[in-house]
Amino acid sequence: MTNHLGDIQNAKAIIIFGANPAVNHPVGFQHFLKAKERNNAKIIVVDPRFTRTAAKADHYVRIRPGTDIPFMYGMLHLIFKHGWQDENFIKDRVYGMDDVMQEAKKWTPEKVEEVTGVPASQLIQVTRLYASSRPGTLIWAMGLTQHSIGSSNTRMAPILQLALGNMGEEGGGCNILRGHDNVQGATDMCCLSHTLPGYYGLSDGAWKYFAKQWGVDYEWLKGRFKDKKWMNAKGFTLARWYAGVLAGKPGEDNIHNAGTNIKALVVMGNGITSIAQQAKVKEALDNLELIVLADPFVNEAAVLTDKKDNIFLLPAATQFETSGSVTATNRSAQWRSKVVDPLYESKPDQEIMFELAKRLGFYDELTRGMLMGIDEETAQPKQVKKSFKWPEDATDEIARIIKTIGLTGWTAERLKKHQENWHMFDQVSLRGYGPMKGEYYGLPWPCWTETHSGSPVLYDIHRPVKEGGMGFRNRFGLEHDGVNLLAGPHSAPVGSKVDGGYPEITAENIEKVLGITLTPEEKKKIGKNWKVDASGIIAKKCMEAGIAPYGNAKARAKVWNFPDPIPLHREPLHSPRPDLVKKYHTYPDKPNHYRVDTKYASIQDAKDWSKEFPINLVTGRLVNMNGAGAETRSSKYLAKLSPEMYADINPDLAARHGIRDGEMMWVHSPEGAKIKVKAHYTYSVSPDRIFLPMHFAGHFQGEDLSAKYPEGTRPYAVGESANTVTNYGYDIVTQIPETKGGLCRIEKA
Amino acid sequence: MNAYARMKFYCDEGRCIECNGCSVACDEAHELPVGISRRKVVTVNDGVPGKEFSLSVACMHCTDAPCEQVCPVHCFYIREDGIVLHDKEICIGCGYCLYACPFGAPQFPQDGAFGTKGVMDKCTMCAGGPEETNSAKERELYGQNRLAEGKVPVCAAMCSTKALLVGDEESVSKIYRERVMARGKGVQSAPYGWDIAYGNK
Repeated sequence: MTNHLGDIQNAKAIIIFGANPAVNHPVGFQHFLKAKERNNAKIIVVDPRFTRTAAKADHYVRIRPGTDIPFMYGMLHLIFKHGWQDENFIKDRVYGMDDVMQEAKKWTPEKVEEVTGVPASQLIQVTRLYASSRPGTLIWAMGLTQHSIGSSNTRMAPILQLALGNMGEEGGGCNILRGHDNVQGATDMCCLSHTLPGYYGLSDGAWKYFAKQWGVDYEWLKGRFKDKKWMNAKGFTLARWYAGVLAGKPGEDNIHNAGTNIKALVVMGNGITSIAQQAKVKEALDNLELIVLADPFVNEAAVLTDKKDNIFLLPAATQFETSGSVTATNRSAQWRSKVVDPLYESKPDQEIMFELAKRLGFYDELTRGMLMGIDEETAQPKQVKKSFKWPEDATDEIARIIKTIGLTGWTAERLKKHQENWHMFDQVSLRGYGPMKGEYYGLPWPCWTETHSGSPVLYDIHRPVKEGGMGFRNRFGLEHDGVNLLAGPHSAPVGSKVDGGYPEITAENIEKVLGITLTPEEKKKIGKNWKVDASGIIAKKCMEAGIAPYGNAKARAKVWNFPDPIPLHREPLHSPRPDLVKKYHTYPDKPNHYRVDTKYASIQDAKDWSKEFPINLVTGRLVNMNGAGAETRSSKYLAKLSPEMYADINPDLAARHGIRDGEMMWVHSPEGAKIKVKAHYTYSVSPDRIFLPMHFAGHFQGEDLSAKYPEGTRPYAVGESANTVTNYGYDIVTQIPETKGGLCRIEKA
Repeated sequence: MNAYARMKFYCDEGRCIECNGCSVACDEAHELPVGISRRKVVTVNDGVPGKEFSLSVACMHCTDAPCEQVCPVHCFYIREDGIVLHDKEICIGCGYCLYACPFGAPQFPQDGAFGTKGVMDKCTMCAGGPEETNSAKERELYGQNRLAEGKVPVCAAMCSTKALLVGDEESVSKIYRERVMARGKGVQSAPYGWDIAYGNK
């Protein structure tokens, strides 16, 4: 989120794409309702189905899955046509909007109606409303991201906000609602295969910076890889790890993994039965040599597989049995205290990792970062203690190392103080009062120094940098194609020594940009740039000068290094509209995409999928369930609210197939997988699509696997996993699976 | 003026999102059998734009409670603050109260399709029953007595959007009035009514 949940109360309009906060963020949704009640905010929901969120909206727009880009271009078409855009904002703070304007010209309301299914009159109505009600906040979640064009979708939404000048404003912004506890923290720590923590990437420079900060030898780190090439290569993703196991079998995608397949899998608390291509996931599990599942509940991967030996279930402790910091959806940290000691033989995740590292012989290297500090004299990292205290020293290690997103201020001591005093913060502005005055709750990053306030609203130039203000980051050079990428005049945060744009701060340019002179001592200590300056001098001097260490540049509407420099509509790999596939064709197949050759055009062009599979398939969440559901289906009171797997189906569609309400039906996928589920009549879905909740496991393609649970561990509710029938298809940049807009066929069971 | 407050429930259909936080909190707090739902959330016109709404329903603790009037064994009693309770040791499980109740609140334990009905169970507004306050027996038969501990009934305490309100009628009406006043008005830039009385200047 660029803003935060409380800030939604400041919005005058709320437009929601592919998110259902009434169901997935019920507590956070109170801020939406309060915005409506107290601020007369208009809520617009754009979604393939009429959700509980839509029931609270002023306007519900029923869109065909996978056509958000045409819809948003349609909005931009009208905005530019009527001159509703924020000219000054675009001129001073946005790069590449001209190209967007050109593309938007093509998307007349009539053409948008043809592609998205949204009546032209409704597009005009909601665009006028949204453009005239500012600030407007734009909300999205998995419904926008889980597409083969997901990365373009997530760029299109900010472009719409930039055009209206809705970025960097209270009540505005792009507010992406994260779906799981601490998922923002896991992302910031980059539990990902393509970057080191803090989004430092995998370059040699990044590895060397971390080696130094962790107090380990770079050469030793290098020696852990097969050869150096793999140190800098992206790994497999969660979406496609199965391909790493199955490569080489007939019909499977090729991999690029140093000539070997994946042989072992360690899962720490991830419901891998909620990943698309469940049938492939099962086959991959069956073919592994070793499976280790660390989870407070039985990870249903163990139930899904037919593998008999070398599967280990490690009882992991829950969040109530450990402590430490977690990061909320709005980039703020919250300290969490331990309620009880781990029950029985269960262990917290870090202890499981420590024990594993001991057995593998690198425990000292794994934990040495927590013993390190910064030498006063040299400003270089050095070992300062002999033993560490968990989790405080881990939190302090993160604060010491991660500069890219400004975690310097997130010391364990400060985070604990916020937790202890959370009654001293305003819910709407996050501003502290009393002893907490001058800080925002949870110190939303960037929190540049150990005394910084935190930044509740990203890119806000109405407040000074030391109170959370900043422009856009200067990350992609000073100019492109002869156009200056730095922000224009008068667009620096208030109280800045510089009036307009400025580059990211380095040891080399700091004196010039800030108009200061460093002492010889400071010159000796200062790091190369703001991202690796262990001395903290850059951040400190920047705060004094009202300068954001990461620079003040233009936001990029045009991303020249992406497959589509400006977002373009491309039909899903399995489209219900064969007539549009030629015109809005997908990408060519992509070799070595996170180590896997990934199919695009060869699937889309293989045949007219809509003939055999004419029904759109969307998946999503239920309010009483979480993730793959092993935890929530094991609670009898939660399970009783949705005791069985089902499909939401319009009575008209069901009746055409002879399926009565409450009867069983088959759902078939283009990949040849099938699930047997109960039909649930509802008008929330139109007759051309069905909806499946994604939380079930324990049945597989019609077979009940209950007998395979270890005794006493079968959840109260089991059923088919929706992801057995979600289609093949992965985002071109991130590889997120295309679960929101595939095709299926249904029949009476 | 009453010496005691009159306790009431109110569910704001503008805010209820059928998250079931109330019903799960109730089940969990009173450790109810799975077949018993003292509180339920009902969604009407599911999926129909403009017509769908949700409400959380339980015993409303009526004035002149119909259940009390039809009970053949007089197991009900009404507290001075309006909370309607009953004595499970007198109840014979006849089900008359269910027929009389306009909200479908009384619950009966089910033991199979033709199993015998046990004694009636319903929302106590977290106020326990006739047994000694906060005794083990009261808890066993009626669940938590949170009111006696100075706590809000668990359903309203857990409500994620604060759609469900409970308390003395004056407090509930005050919150309701504030919401109605605010709804559709936007952030006020001038004292209430000035725009009507004095125009926009």
